[in-house]
Amino acid sequence: MSAALRSFETQWRARTPDALQPIREQAMQRFLKLGLPSLRDETWRYTDLRGLAAQTYGEAGCAANADAVANASVTASASAGTGTGATSGKELLSLVHAGQQAATLTMINGCPILNADLPIINGIEINSIRELYKQDSNRVRRFFEAASDADQRRWVLLNTALFIDGLYLKITRAVARPIVIRHVSTGDSAQAAHPRVIIDASPGASATIIEHHLSEGDAAPLSNSNTHIALGKDAQLEHYRVYATGAGATHLDALDIHQAEGSQCRQFTIALGGGLVRSSLEARLNQRGASLDSYSLLAGHQDRHVDCVNIVTHAAPDTRSRQTARAIAGDVSRVIFNSKVIVNAGANGADSKQSCRGLLLSPNAEIDTRPQLEIHADEVKCAHGATTGRLDPDMLFYLLSRGLDRETAQSLLVFAFLADVLTDMSVSSARAAIESALISQLPDAQILRKFR
Amino acid sequence: MLEISDLTARVAGKEILNGVNLTVKAGEVHAIMGPNGSGKSTLAQVLAGREDYEVTRGSATFEGHDLLAMRAEERARAGLFLGFQYPVEIPGVNNVYLLKAALNAKRKAAGEPEVDAYDFLALIRQKMKFMQMSETFLTRGVNEGFSGGEKKRNEVLQMLVLEPKLAILDETDSGLDIDALKVVSQGVNSLRDPARAVVLVTHYQRLLDYVIPDYVHVLSGGRIVKSGDKSLAQELERRGYDWVMGAQVA
Repeated sequence: MSAALRSFETQWRARTPDALQPIREQAMQRFLKLGLPSLRDETWRYTDLRGLAAQTYGEAGCAANADAVANASVTASASAGTGTGATSGKELLSLVHAGQQAATLTMINGCPILNADLPIINGIEINSIRELYKQDSNRVRRFFEAASDADQRRWVLLNTALFIDGLYLKITRAVARPIVIRHVSTGDSAQAAHPRVIIDASPGASATIIEHHLSEGDAAPLSNSNTHIALGKDAQLEHYRVYATGAGATHLDALDIHQAEGSQCRQFTIALGGGLVRSSLEARLNQRGASLDSYSLLAGHQDRHVDCVNIVTHAAPDTRSRQTARAIAGDVSRVIFNSKVIVNAGANGADSKQSCRGLLLSPNAEIDTRPQLEIHADEVKCAHGATTGRLDPDMLFYLLSRGLDRETAQSLLVFAFLADVLTDMSVSSARAAIESALISQLPDAQILRKFR
Repeated sequence: MLEISDLTARVAGKEILNGVNLTVKAGEVHAIMGPNGSGKSTLAQVLAGREDYEVTRGSATFEGHDLLAMRAEERARAGLFLGFQYPVEIPGVNNVYLLKAALNAKRKAAGEPEVDAYDFLALIRQKMKFMQMSETFLTRGVNEGFSGGEKKRNEVLQMLVLEPKLAILDETDSGLDIDALKVVSQGVNSLRDPARAVVLVTHYQRLLDYVIPDYVHVLSGGRIVKSGDKSLAQELERRGYDWVMGAQVA
């Protein structure tokens, strides 16, 4: 048993049981039996967790005075000039606030701040998962599946066992105001946090939710987060998860999306920070007419490692999915994007497209992409394409031949490469903030800013 | 203005240009014609500074400066313009940004201040009108989704905004219908000036009905094998390239 596993077991034994105990017990036993994923596991073959396994982890815990930490971390982010995560976090924060008056919820190390200052938003009910489970377990139980053996779900088991509390958002009608969930990591790398969020949209409801992961400094607790999205009939959601933690942070994030008839989800995964980021998305299009647009914008910078796994299951006829991934890798970074579309038997009329493009900005960077299809139905339309390369020499020459200097031309082309993802974001303030944070990680940021 | 002497160049180990000699003076319009694969586009690209081509012999000077020692962007700022045969689409880079950046790069190199945003837009609109281009151009990515004809109009528009001393237009006439050909020709003619020169690279004589050249050269096998006035183009149209190449063999 690895040191990490032992320390998680110790934490587990030290816990005071709560109403979720039977669910947690099952998940923990499964996790202990399966152990940490390794390079031998299919979806983990590009990410070596041996360094992580050799460490021990204590519970990051809720800050004694959470409000103070929440405010302090904003200040810390605003004043930190060196950590790219902190810098980008600050920009995103200010722009989302100024531009569109988003409502903000905060979770510190996975503990939701549910106090009197909570914003009141018509059409959204905000609850603590634990409280709700205690009051009416039937409303929440369905979001805790039976323990799974799938290797991409290994850390979700641990999250289920150890999460302190989580946010439950019930969306009951059309909500125009974007909601920002700030996940703040604070502490040191010998600790672990397990943030959990449930987004439950009633039939016909709609919302925009931005999950923003940031850390106080470069070092932060191991974050093992899980978000579960359930969309009722004809519900619509635009969901963002933005990774902007410090360069020393390790973040394992799993997103589950379950879609009912005619529901539409637009999902943006933006990797701008962190040292090691593992991001998974598992979507199930459970009923006819469900539609998913997944966008991934993965920026490899310095020695960052970003491993993104998407698994989309078409479980009903006439379902639609689009996956658009743009990865850039500079310095000695590594970016991995693996996507898989599964069309179940009987899901005729399924329509899926996977487009993944990688752009290498440095000879020492690496991008791995692997689009996969698994089709068990006859009448389907499935397309996939993956390319990785350097800047297009024809485009570069065209710009140079117009007199632009090389640095400007290169920066423009890198940015243009990412445009497919950026232009489809409908929250303009978030888009501007993400653009700005992204630019700061590109070579020749100053030049590029003149063009925006 | 442009002095090319014994220019020899290859790409991927293959000789494409094999000793080109050409002198272009200010105020002149030269047409370079020739069959497919004769090296016309290579010559245009080598002059504009494409790095994939390796110049193995000879020289080229532009207003007395060693052109081959200059980088592509330096050549552009010094007043050389290449109109591309296949203008590349660059989604995500706006047409107007590119034009403004290009103009400012040139002005900066000449020690002039950056162009005022308002004046620039007025200039663009005026030139677009002249080139009969749609307003939607302003918001689109460089050549993004343009038809072949629109791309060529855009090349000429860029040329009109940048006002180069030497314009090298690589098959700017190909793929144009007759109306577009007239508009493009009008654009080229508007730039004719005693202080400027134009080199038209073309496969067909058609363009030369609208832009009358002072000299016509035939490029074949990477060399200029015949030179004359505009009547040479008409003769080529009548007798075909085999006539020149046959004469060369004989």
